Amino acid sequence: MSDIGLPASVEALRRVREDPHRLGHHAHGAREPVTGAGHGATGPAQKRIIVGYGFWIFLLSDIVVFSCFFAAFAVQRGETAGGPSMAEIVDVRRVVFETAALLLSSYTCMLSFASTNARSRLWTEVFLLVTGLLGLVFVLLEVQEFVELAGRGITPQRSGMLTAFFGLVGLHGLHVTAGGLWLATMMAQVLIKGFRREIVHRLICFNLFWHALDIVWIGIFTIVYLMGSIA
Amino acid sequence: MSNLESDRDLYAGPLNDLEDHAPGDEPPEEESGHWVRNANLGLGFSIVLTASAFLLAGSHVIYAPAIPVALIVLAIAQMGVHLVFFLHVTTGPDNTNNVLALAFGILVVFLVVGGSIWIMAHLKQNMMPAAQLMQMQQ
Amino acid sequence: MFGKLSLSAIPLSQPIPLITSGVVILIVIGVLSLVTIKGWWPYLWREWITSVDHKRIGVMYCLLGVLMLIRGFADAIMMRTQQAMAINAPGYLPPEHYDQIFTAHGTIMILFGAMPLVLGFMNFLVPLQLGVRDVAFPTFNSVGFWLTASGALLVNLSLFIGEFARTGWLPYPPLSEATYTPGVGVDYYLWAVQISGVGTLITGINVVTTVLKMRCRGMSYLRMPVFCWTALASCLLIVAAFPVLTATLAMLTLDRYVGWHYFTNTAGGNPMMFVNLVWAWGHPEVYILVLPAFGIYSEIFSTFSGKPLFGYRSMVVATMFICVVSMMVWLHHFFTMGAGAAVNTFFGISSSIIAVGTGVKIYNWIFTMYGGRVRFETPMLWSMGFIFTFIIGGLTGVLLAVPPADFLTHNSMFLVAHFHNVIIGGVVFAIFAGLEFWFPKAFGFRLHEGWGKAAFWFAFIGFWVTFTPLYVLGLLGMTRRLQHINVPEWRPWLYVSVIGVGILILGVITQVMQLVVSIRDRERLRDVTGDPWDGRSLEWATPSPPPFFNFAVMPNVEGEEAYWGIKLRAVESQQLSPEPQYEPIEMPVNSPVGFYTAFFASVFGFSMIWHIWWLAAVALVAAFAGFVGFAWRDVHEFEVPAEEVARVDRARRAAREALLERLSRQEALP
Repeated sequence: MSDIGLPASVEALRRVREDPHRLGHHAHGAREPVTGAGHGATGPAQKRIIVGYGFWIFLLSDIVVFSCFFAAFAVQRGETAGGPSMAEIVDVRRVVFETAALLLSSYTCMLSFASTNARSRLWTEVFLLVTGLLGLVFVLLEVQEFVELAGRGITPQRSGMLTAFFGLVGLHGLHVTAGGLWLATMMAQVLIKGFRREIVHRLICFNLFWHALDIVWIGIFTIVYLMGSIA
Repeated sequence: MSNLESDRDLYAGPLNDLEDHAPGDEPPEEESGHWVRNANLGLGFSIVLTASAFLLAGSHVIYAPAIPVALIVLAIAQMGVHLVFFLHVTTGPDNTNNVLALAFGILVVFLVVGGSIWIMAHLKQNMMPAAQLMQMQQ
Repeated sequence: MFGKLSLSAIPLSQPIPLITSGVVILIVIGVLSLVTIKGWWPYLWREWITSVDHKRIGVMYCLLGVLMLIRGFADAIMMRTQQAMAINAPGYLPPEHYDQIFTAHGTIMILFGAMPLVLGFMNFLVPLQLGVRDVAFPTFNSVGFWLTASGALLVNLSLFIGEFARTGWLPYPPLSEATYTPGVGVDYYLWAVQISGVGTLITGINVVTTVLKMRCRGMSYLRMPVFCWTALASCLLIVAAFPVLTATLAMLTLDRYVGWHYFTNTAGGNPMMFVNLVWAWGHPEVYILVLPAFGIYSEIFSTFSGKPLFGYRSMVVATMFICVVSMMVWLHHFFTMGAGAAVNTFFGISSSIIAVGTGVKIYNWIFTMYGGRVRFETPMLWSMGFIFTFIIGGLTGVLLAVPPADFLTHNSMFLVAHFHNVIIGGVVFAIFAGLEFWFPKAFGFRLHEGWGKAAFWFAFIGFWVTFTPLYVLGLLGMTRRLQHINVPEWRPWLYVSVIGVGILILGVITQVMQLVVSIRDRERLRDVTGDPWDGRSLEWATPSPPPFFNFAVMPNVEGEEAYWGIKLRAVESQQLSPEPQYEPIEMPVNSPVGFYTAFFASVFGFSMIWHIWWLAAVALVAAFAGFVGFAWRDVHEFEVPAEEVARVDRARRAAREALLERLSRQEALP
């Protein structure tokens, strides 16, 4: 990053400004306003930036919905109304597999987007397919859990605690299912239309969505399952 | 749909290095190596944090009442790992809007969840339980 | 096959809903027939129903809001007259009916009257003031509007088929649970509000993204008009708070439909949690309404005082301060529910502190007028009426923020008077001020000044005559929502209030007359220059009405009050800026996806209300299919050729030449 010809002090100043801790890399963005980046002084941003940011804002609103269901669970976790408590319904082994599936699917989702950036249709589709299959494993495990619980008479209609549990976990599972439908649509679109501008924009949004679902799952397995199992 | 769209120099499809971008979106020169490296690091850290949480939950390694706190710390750490490595939310000027939006979201979540827990705990302490109320009607 | 729906759902035994339904159905058939006979369907479909133009969508939002305000006002007339007549007497509305009326009044006024109007203003103005061509997601914007309209349709259907909720505008459990309200009333409420809530969230996301990522060249954050700042703050609150409403109503829906126990009073449910969550939404909601209203006043005060707004930066800080603190005060709606001293104290203090932000704004508006050349035209009258009215309403609010005082006045008529004081004085006055101010921009002709002033005075006087007695009644001990009154001492106050309602009715009639007269005389009232009020922000740089692409060439802004700078420069140099290089412009194509989605949302909502499960499934599948079909389209935009842009802009420049000449002949601008 040195610019030969400038006095050493100017060079030092620039290095401090761009790389103050000498880590060898700098922020991706420029300090000067850049046209099309939406920095205000230079006009509206490119569509890709606008779409990504709009979806990020939508995701924040979705996180707020989840936080309400978390709050309901936190408030009602002791309201068992004579029925089973959390410790009696948690199956830690199954949660390990669900967590592994979702985490790996986040990883493969990232790899699929890397493939999109490299404009490789084959690898994008492959990684998207793996992501979808791992998501399907997650949903099936959760359905199995709910069916087993219902078989033991443990349903959301039994108590406030169970309502809150099924509501929170079920909402997350519903999001994963919807994400799976979206994934299937995206795979079809990439197959038929290739990497057109709006398809890439939608893949950016899908990535954001899938990673956010994993972030929510971290909250769920910690607060609902792990803390529930030790209470 | 500004008339910038018809300006071929400005609208080049993949991101320019110098622009703002959404979380998880990357300028293309970075993706060979940088992108996959982020994914691997993110996965690695997440596995460590997840395994720690699961192992900690049933064990007696630390003082028992501290376990919930430790689990929450691990969860927050893992959320941070996801945000930084998978979603690439950084502190650079190209990410300022993303960070501000995230901070606002976190504030709202904290207010709603924390506020609700605080309020409902006080209400539970002060008010008659619903079951007892219903009994009084009979 | 038809779920719970049967012929008994039609209110044959209740004269008032029956007659009202009949009249409304006749009017609807009449309007549809007129449109068909005159052959207006292709025009309406092409230019309005499938439009993704933010200006068209804004106008449709405002039209929906005004119609719903009238319906809500009709409910109010019925309530005031019932209370005046029911003093140790039955009145004319049985309790089951009266309860539906006050529920519908609140729901419609806030969610289907004020919200659409505020959303409409934001949609119309933000892109114009930022100097861009549309919001961030134009097609999505259309979906949002039609979903809101779908919710309004469902609420109004409850008048003809079935019944509405009887719980008050926030359906507190346990009353709203299936055990105690097995009928369809609460379900109508739940589905209407959920569907329109999605629409509102869409606008929130759209406007936040537009303000943060789409401004014309040179418009940094601190050069935006204050209305855009308040729109940003309001839409950030929408994004933060509406999800809470969605979640809470979803929980209540699950309780009612599948017997879950979120808010039941058995098996571990907690009814107080509903109150807590719904007010965590409900308080930000009122700030969502009032912040853009404050923005409207900022624009009007600076324009009609002929001065820049006083204290721009403090306005911005106050706006963002209100935005954040409004999420920290919600418990003041249920001080009496029993959370105890510590919790009540915290929220009482935060509720008092939030008044500081508004105080800063009021001082700034007053100082804007000071030293300016104030013109008392209709928008300014509404704004000055607001200052007086809102200060008093706000003071009663700070009184209510003190928990011990609130223990006496909670849910009394004092509370009712307070919130009407701030909503009418703050939001409704702003809506009328804004309608008067921006009507010429939207439709190309001015409104009649005389009728406008008369309408203001009727509204202002009528408001105070109606609601001052309610403050007194509250302090005398009268609670809200009474269908029957057995304290004769309250009679004179109730009678005065009805007189006030009569004055307000005159106000509504006068307002309608203004519209009728202005449309009749529109050629005489034509706005030829695009700048009828000597405006200061960029929307006044366009012709009236603006072309669909807003600006032929996006402006390059060099300071605050972008348009004022352009005007000053033109007057000083005695000429317009040179004709720009015209480029072709890409604009989004129209799309029926909004109307289509909302149609199936309405069908879905109706079938869920009446438990017609097969129809609900069909509607859901159809909506998804439409979404996928829309996602598959190949053509998103069309190009406007440079010659067309040039033609439209040259006409604008000719009008501006005439305006420049007129301005130069007047005394020097400040």
